[in-house]
Amino acid sequence: MAKKNNQKVMKNLKKKLKKDIIDIVQPRENRIYMRVKPEKAPGIVEYLFSKYKCKLCTASGMDMREGIEIIYHLAKEDENMIINVKTLIPYSKLEIESIGKKIKAFRWIEREINEMLGVKFKGHPDMRRLLLADSFPKGKYPLRKNFKNSDVTDEDYDYERSGI
Amino acid sequence: MSWLIYYIIFPGFIFASIAGLLTVWLDRKVSARVQWREGPPWYQGFADIGKLLYKEVIVPEEAFGSGFIAAPLFGLAAVTLAVTILCVSFFGMSEGFIGDIIVVWYLFAIPSIALIYIGSTSGNPLSSVGVSREIKLMLSYDLPMAIVIVMMALKAGSFSISGIMEWQRINGSNISNWYGIIAFVVAIFCIQAKLGRVPFDLPEAETELGSGILLELSGGVLAAYELSKAIMLFGLPMFLIILFWGKGIIGGVLMYLLIVVLLILIKNTNPRVRIDHAMKYFWGWMSGAAVLAAILAHLGA
Amino acid sequence: MDILKKSFKKSIWVFHLSTAACNNCDIEVLELLTPKYDVERFGIKLVGSPRHADALLVCGSVNAHAKPRFLEVYRQTPKPCLVVAFGSCGCSSGIFRDSYSIVGPVDKVLKEEDPDAKIVYIPGCPPKPEAMIEGIVKGLEAV
Repeated sequence: MAKKNNQKVMKNLKKKLKKDIIDIVQPRENRIYMRVKPEKAPGIVEYLFSKYKCKLCTASGMDMREGIEIIYHLAKEDENMIINVKTLIPYSKLEIESIGKKIKAFRWIEREINEMLGVKFKGHPDMRRLLLADSFPKGKYPLRKNFKNSDVTDEDYDYERSGI
Repeated sequence: MSWLIYYIIFPGFIFASIAGLLTVWLDRKVSARVQWREGPPWYQGFADIGKLLYKEVIVPEEAFGSGFIAAPLFGLAAVTLAVTILCVSFFGMSEGFIGDIIVVWYLFAIPSIALIYIGSTSGNPLSSVGVSREIKLMLSYDLPMAIVIVMMALKAGSFSISGIMEWQRINGSNISNWYGIIAFVVAIFCIQAKLGRVPFDLPEAETELGSGILLELSGGVLAAYELSKAIMLFGLPMFLIILFWGKGIIGGVLMYLLIVVLLILIKNTNPRVRIDHAMKYFWGWMSGAAVLAAILAHLGA
Repeated sequence: MDILKKSFKKSIWVFHLSTAACNNCDIEVLELLTPKYDVERFGIKLVGSPRHADALLVCGSVNAHAKPRFLEVYRQTPKPCLVVAFGSCGCSSGIFRDSYSIVGPVDKVLKEEDPDAKIVYIPGCPPKPEAMIEGIVKGLEAV
């Protein structure tokens, strides 16, 4: 059967990373969703990137009401599948270890998640603003659910920081 | 005293600027027609200069103020003098002096030097890129043109403009021989580079360097530069007419129109070249063709 | 001086500035230079440096990134000059009105720097070429 062939990757991952994953499902032939704890996520992603020959597609962040969920989308080209690593970071402690310390591919996406959602990446070498202007007020994160456009008025912009 | 009238009114500043601005209009009109558009009306050149005189002059802070304003005026004065010496001999108003063709060619080099000066004192890094390209371009096109001028002068046996014209009146114009045609083609390309037109408009590259050397000019200073460019557009085809045609005025007008239309057509059908391509082209093919023309001239073909 | 002022209307050199635009209006500017709607017959041409310009064609609504730079370019244009607020994003901010990074349409930003700047509004998303030409002609009458 077709499904039997592709469960090879899921079984392989379950054997290598036994204790670290909360659960792992494969709803379709070319997708694997893996849910992990926020302390273990950078290690698993680094393992998948370096030793398991996956490439980074992107990382996405979303504001669930209990915390911020970051999903790392990694592509495994020889098996034609995408592996998603989900973590839920609670609002009480919005920190996660940075993968951009060692692997250059993750640096920009971590900058974007930091400025838009307010997640702190520990150990990132170059945490500047990526998309927002330098004069945008600090402490306001546009992609959170409780952000309204009227929170930022014209007086909050500080053009001294814009570098002109 | 009469030289002052020659310098200012005819054939000097006023006559040359009117003729030059009408030639600039002809350039834009023929370029528009080649692209199936209408072009601007006949007074467009004059409207441009008038508009530039109406605007304010901004001198940037890092620029060296007095040199920045004086250099285009100096270029304008030099090119007017060159056109005066040229046309005074062509229209037969005065005799000229020995060696005046060399003086004219070197007076035509002064606007390029003024351009280099403007670019260096602008205080802008894009201008300095334009300056280095202009210096390399000047070194490139001087060589074939010098060979052509010396060849024509040696053939005529005299280094004065009226001497060259006299020789052509007796023995037939230079362009009706084989060496004349090859030298004419070489001279057309050297003129195109001197005027700073496509395909050789690297120093003033419009969208690549944001107008390059001319980036910081504004107002009356830019008007002086545009006027000197227009007078050069009138003067350099006259230079070619004297070297290659050398006879009367009616044929001269037709030859003038022919040269201007050739310059316009070359401009409209070519892209901009890189500086190393331009140097290879002038020092390789064009110099070779000029030497070939010199050999043919010596053998009498 | 009167003849110089009349010659100002006959030759306007335009510098194109794009502040946070979606690039649709930038592409539509090229249409005016094509044979069908040729504007070179009015003496208008595109130049490469703001110091040579008489009119600033501002496409797009102004961003927080773009605001100090746009005001700097406006200061470097020799006066008298004309500012054209091009498209719906330039006149009001269009559909991006409530966004967190849009600071304001062109006239709101420009009035901080120079309260009596001359602004021409050309609405449309993107404006039709006939609207562009009508806006330019009206602007020339007001100079």
